[in-house]
Amino acid sequence: MNILHISDTHIGNKSQFNEDSLKIALKEIGDKDIDILIHSGDITRDGNLKNYKKAREIFDKVEVPLIVIPGNHDKRSGGLSIFKDYFDSPDGVFESEEEIVIYVDSAVPDTDIGRVGMVKFDMIKEALAENSDKSVKIVVLHHHVVPVPKAGRERNVLSNAGDLLELFLKGDVDLVLSGHRHYPNVHRIENTVFVNAGTISDKKTRYGDINSYNLIQIKKDRLKVKTKRVDGSKKVKHFPRKDKRIFYHFGDKIFRIVHISNTFISSSTRFLHTHFFNALKNINSLDADLTIHCGGIVEEGINQNFELAKKYMEKFTTPIIYTPAGRDINYLGYELFSKYFGEMIQSYRDEKILFQGVSSAQYDSLEGYIGERQREKLFERLGDRKQSFKSVFLHHNILPIPHAREKGLLEDSGDFLREVVDQKIELVLTGTSSHPSAVKIGDTVVVNANSLSSVYQRSRYGNSFNVIDIYEKVIVVYEINSLWGTRKILGVWERNGFKKN
Amino acid sequence: MMSKAAPKFYDVDMPIRSFVTKRLIGVRSENSVQEAAEKMVEFKTGSLIVIEDDEVVGFLTDGDIKKKVVAEGLKPDMPVKEIMVEDLITADISTDIKEVLELMAEKNIQHVLIEEDDDIVGIVTFRDLIDIERQKLETYISRE
Repeated sequence: MNILHISDTHIGNKSQFNEDSLKIALKEIGDKDIDILIHSGDITRDGNLKNYKKAREIFDKVEVPLIVIPGNHDKRSGGLSIFKDYFDSPDGVFESEEEIVIYVDSAVPDTDIGRVGMVKFDMIKEALAENSDKSVKIVVLHHHVVPVPKAGRERNVLSNAGDLLELFLKGDVDLVLSGHRHYPNVHRIENTVFVNAGTISDKKTRYGDINSYNLIQIKKDRLKVKTKRVDGSKKVKHFPRKDKRIFYHFGDKIFRIVHISNTFISSSTRFLHTHFFNALKNINSLDADLTIHCGGIVEEGINQNFELAKKYMEKFTTPIIYTPAGRDINYLGYELFSKYFGEMIQSYRDEKILFQGVSSAQYDSLEGYIGERQREKLFERLGDRKQSFKSVFLHHNILPIPHAREKGLLEDSGDFLREVVDQKIELVLTGTSSHPSAVKIGDTVVVNANSLSSVYQRSRYGNSFNVIDIYEKVIVVYEINSLWGTRKILGVWERNGFKKN
Repeated sequence: MMSKAAPKFYDVDMPIRSFVTKRLIGVRSENSVQEAAEKMVEFKTGSLIVIEDDEVVGFLTDGDIKKKVVAEGLKPDMPVKEIMVEDLITADISTDIKEVLELMAEKNIQHVLIEEDDDIVGIVTFRDLIDIERQKLETYISRE
């Protein structure tokens, strides 16, 4: 299957709309064997009748099936009703014998934000269930599910991106196409490739980039994404369709980490005493090399909580390193954290292994960001380090987490994510949103911990912590229930440089 | 009095795809039963995929080790090959949950291997399906 993927045409008056760029992209249809044209939204500049008429004129000349969804610009000024007149339904399913394309309107009228409501969420879920046996599954949304770099603060990821991500990964979706940020980007999470298109014909590009579009080829075993700029330059990425599933050669075990978060220690009933002490007993018996606490040590940063936390955390027999959450440093916590638990930025390293903490928490705020300067310094330092295994840990999420909305997501997650993936940092540990998650993005395994011992948790399996075993050839992540000690594997992945068994 | 419907985490007529564990721990057919048991302990799993020349040739559960080795008074240094189950019971990844449960009942088994395009791509255990309901019990117990 060959797809021409364009986005954010922003058809309008000539001062902003580069019609020539769009022509270059559409010319691919005649030149190459394109099966389908997919437009991931923002067809028009202002969603008005004049824009839509012009758009219809342009796309009438296209001789392959066209899938198009509205973006936030198309729904301005009540534009959705015109969209329906000129371009059919804003949501739907395109089916062929082997393929399915589910396209969904994610724009919220007269705002820039993205949302896939319950009804549309169920529509995607049902379409995936009904078409489970199709060999190619594609979803199209205007807004992005995976944070995009170089696009400013991460404000417009879909508000329920975590649930969508889980749905796509569980449903073995092959490809998710989006636009909106006017910056091309490609990530592969597990077996799903997430492609963001740049703008094909808006003069408003980012970072001095020029207009671009994607040519995507899906074969039985491989998926190829070619991002082409209108000057003819191109970047190609190849991905296998399916990862290795069966693991039987692990090599020696190198290191074991216990990964905990949101203990929320306090004297209130919201701190689950039995969960904490059962987990503590279990952790002390696990023979781990290191425990990493990804923040949320105390419920609020007040003196009595810190005193109690110090007393409880001292009962762990393995060394522990910490990174703060916003609530650890609110009230007087900013001073108490260093008094009781040491530096804000902590790390662990030996000859082979490096765990580097990053401070994403903000004083008196639950929001997280790292900032350009800290990020630059961090990745420069990581690049210089000689250890063969490098890991970064922070409180806030760098990928959306199921059942959690986007609140815990790092504001500059798009840039941070791009850097860790490009630098092939092997492991990133996070601890917001109180739901466990472990996925591989590029060559990086990203693990989030649930709350160990707070009533505020979101998993139907209950409070938990993670154990991460690093072997010579693979990484294994387990989730262990705080109360019961029951364990399940969250994932097993081959490590970088050990592709063959 | 009308009872309130319990939250529905899954429908039995949904394909099994979303409930499949997509990472499997394997053992080589020439490895000893003891090595297989060690792997089960290390990864806290009750079953292993048996591999020969990169191909799936069998399946082994902790029950097989109990029944065919320990209870028979045999030594665990025998190869996995001798006690593995060669007739693999599989279901296609697009099969409904209901049919998978029926298969488990009919064959009296707790593990079903999942296939896609003739490759083994995952496993579903009876416990995975039970686990989903566990949180209700936990919420009850954790009131302190």
